[in-house]
Amino acid sequence: MAPPKLGDRALLPDRAPAPQSLPDFVGRPAQGRYRGLNPTTKLVIAFSTALIAFGVRGWTGALVALAVVVASATYGRIGRAMLPYALATIPLVISILLVNTFLYPGASDPIAHVGPLSPSWSGLTAAVQGTLRVVAFAMSVALFALTTTTNDLVSDLERRGLGRRPSFVLSAAIGTVPRMIDRAKEITEAQRARGLDTEGRVWRRIRGLVPLAGPLVIGALTEVEEKTMALEARGFTAPGRRTVLRAMPDSPTQRALRWLLTVGTLLVLAASISGALGWLP
Amino acid sequence: MTGDGAKTGLRLSGVRYGYAGGQGPVLDGIDLEIQPGQVVGVVGANESGKSTLCLVAAGIAPGTIGGRLEGTVRIDDINSSHAKPYELSQRCGILFQNPTTQLSGIAPNVWEEVAFGPRNLSLPLGEVIERVEEALDALGIGALRERDPQRLSGGQSQLVALAAVIALRPRYLVLDEPTSQLDPEGTRLVGDALVRTAQRTGSGILVVEHKTDLLARLTTEVLVLDHGRIALRGPSHDVLADESLERHGVSPPSDVRLRRALTAAGVPIPDLAV
Amino acid sequence: MGWVSRQFTTRVIVLIPVAIAINIVIGYLTQTVLKLPIYLDSIGTILVGVLAGPLAGAFTGAASNLIWQYAPVIGGGTIGPFAITAAVIGFLAGIWGYLGIYRPRPASGTQLLLAAIIAGAVIVLVVIPIFNNPAYTDPNIGGYPSWVYTAAAVIAVIVAVIVAAFIYIRRDLAGLFVALAGIATGVVAAIVSAPIAAIAFNGVTGSGTDLIVAALRQGGSDVLNASLGQGLFSDPIDKTITSFVVYIVLLGLSRRFLARFPLGNRLFGDHDGAAEAWGSSTPA
Repeated sequence: MAPPKLGDRALLPDRAPAPQSLPDFVGRPAQGRYRGLNPTTKLVIAFSTALIAFGVRGWTGALVALAVVVASATYGRIGRAMLPYALATIPLVISILLVNTFLYPGASDPIAHVGPLSPSWSGLTAAVQGTLRVVAFAMSVALFALTTTTNDLVSDLERRGLGRRPSFVLSAAIGTVPRMIDRAKEITEAQRARGLDTEGRVWRRIRGLVPLAGPLVIGALTEVEEKTMALEARGFTAPGRRTVLRAMPDSPTQRALRWLLTVGTLLVLAASISGALGWLP
Repeated sequence: MTGDGAKTGLRLSGVRYGYAGGQGPVLDGIDLEIQPGQVVGVVGANESGKSTLCLVAAGIAPGTIGGRLEGTVRIDDINSSHAKPYELSQRCGILFQNPTTQLSGIAPNVWEEVAFGPRNLSLPLGEVIERVEEALDALGIGALRERDPQRLSGGQSQLVALAAVIALRPRYLVLDEPTSQLDPEGTRLVGDALVRTAQRTGSGILVVEHKTDLLARLTTEVLVLDHGRIALRGPSHDVLADESLERHGVSPPSDVRLRRALTAAGVPIPDLAV
Repeated sequence: MGWVSRQFTTRVIVLIPVAIAINIVIGYLTQTVLKLPIYLDSIGTILVGVLAGPLAGAFTGAASNLIWQYAPVIGGGTIGPFAITAAVIGFLAGIWGYLGIYRPRPASGTQLLLAAIIAGAVIVLVVIPIFNNPAYTDPNIGGYPSWVYTAAAVIAVIVAVIVAAFIYIRRDLAGLFVALAGIATGVVAAIVSAPIAAIAFNGVTGSGTDLIVAALRQGGSDVLNASLGQGLFSDPIDKTITSFVVYIVLLGLSRRFLARFPLGNRLFGDHDGAAEAWGSSTPA
């Protein structure tokens, strides 16, 4: 076994083993070919594909990122689950296609003349490239969101050295959103019963926002005091590393992959920014 | 019994306290002592300082929330003004009214929720496991271990919160109206658990409650708080049957009210041992 | 290191996730459900900045955008890359907090009237550059410019009147400072966002504001200027409204609650001498 890292008390053999052991539902590792990867590996893949998609102009960046994402999704057999995410990009894609094709600044190669509008080839090229970029990014996001739970990710990051405060903020922020959505739904229903209009004219909708936002914000803030006291009363401000319950599975291959991706992405971005990649399509 | 040589006990001496940004002291001259194994109840009208008393006794005031404290609060061998919050919580735990807000909010199951405290103290894994199992067992909630803490009933959440507090193995417990936001079922659940906890762990307990019936069951001594001062103190049954209780904004337990109603109606009551 | 850790007390750590959720939920409601032409996704960010400081505010902003981007169900879209803008907004809010911008300042008479007029005027002035843009005055571009023209004028005048009334009726000069802080934040946000929108999305982000971008492009603007033009329309108004929402929320919170935050005591005046006699120490 590798020597324990500083502060990694869970690995130190300084006590006789406890009669009970960790219940198996605690920190249960995810199953699946892609899902089973270490959370940090999946995080690095997500960030590098996103950065490559945006960072390398033209066709190359977007296509490479998209290829990596699609390959991973196929490997992990989660292609079908990604479909809703792909469909959700349609409004944005339409916007990109229309605005860029018809209104590309400084275009001098028109496809046709349709009344006052003249779509251009360079506009269309930019449009399709933009679309690919957006779709690649959306798919990269979907791949990560579908295969990695908050708990696993934060727990792994914490084991690697992320402090207890940022860990708490990440876990709590992600967890509070669904709860707040539920509360917003409750408030919306209550307000609708009192005449809030969510479909009508713009002015009515603005007026409807205030009785919704007010209770939501105030209600959320009143919890802060008690939670602060409760956290401190449970030793949140104690020094040192929190005890690790169960380490997420990892492997040397994954470690190498993470390093490769990180260094590679940074190099590619540097090259792209300095113009050295202008020769790529 | 509050001599300088005493080494145990949750002791408040000459305590006056006011909140930061507040107007004047909320507690005005409190002397109180709780030894392990004692259960002391506190009653009083709203704004009489009951919650503040809990925060001061547990050391949360002034430690976590600031404010100004005069007098001393000692928990066994340490002075609450000179100790860090995580040192205090290993000596005196506190349970709040709201069942859900005092949970961490980030634990996927009850087991990990209870493990939150011990993990924060960087205890070895074996000890974390031991403390969690012990706490779950003490409150009889082992069956809830895999459940999502955010989806429990009020009473169950309070028990989980209490288990999480006990996992730090404090010698004293402060309970700030633990059943006030619960339905009758939850109240019964938590009430029973508190009685069992008091008997089994031998902790010194300070419990603030409106429900005087519960206090009658739970406590040996009761204090009446009025405008930041202790207006009345003594054995539970005496204080809870006292005539002046209502004047301090507290409604007596049901058996006392029944007894008075019957007496007023002229019905003779057999003198049963209380 | 002291300056950093003082902004991240336990209380702030608890506040930040709540603020992030506020950002995401209200932002989502405003943009997707109610489909209003403003963002309203920085209420939490500015709140944390004012209460805790620039770093805490910046962290809240950036984290909100990243978390929203990767959230299931409501995630996706183009929010992620604008984490940089959100961080800047939070940082600025921290600076306004330090400067005591959000402290109530009771006043009366001429001082008050002057403040109300100045605030209203500045808000309307911010909108005027849009009026002068030829893109908006060309009636041959598919009918969009007249809609934008009217909407800009209507929103600006309404906000100007509300702000001026707020200052005058409440007899509170703070309204002027809050409005100026909001406008300044909005302008900076627009400047920071424009290159991000231009580089990442060719200026198009899928929100209703794309129409404005389209109109500006037609008028001959390149991608960057079109994005900047759109930003300068939406951001100052949005951030001014947000700043006022934060100010109103802060007014509704008790002194006891506010005093426990790192920058809390910059939110009330020193005229209340009696209260300082007791409980003047704030938590470490």
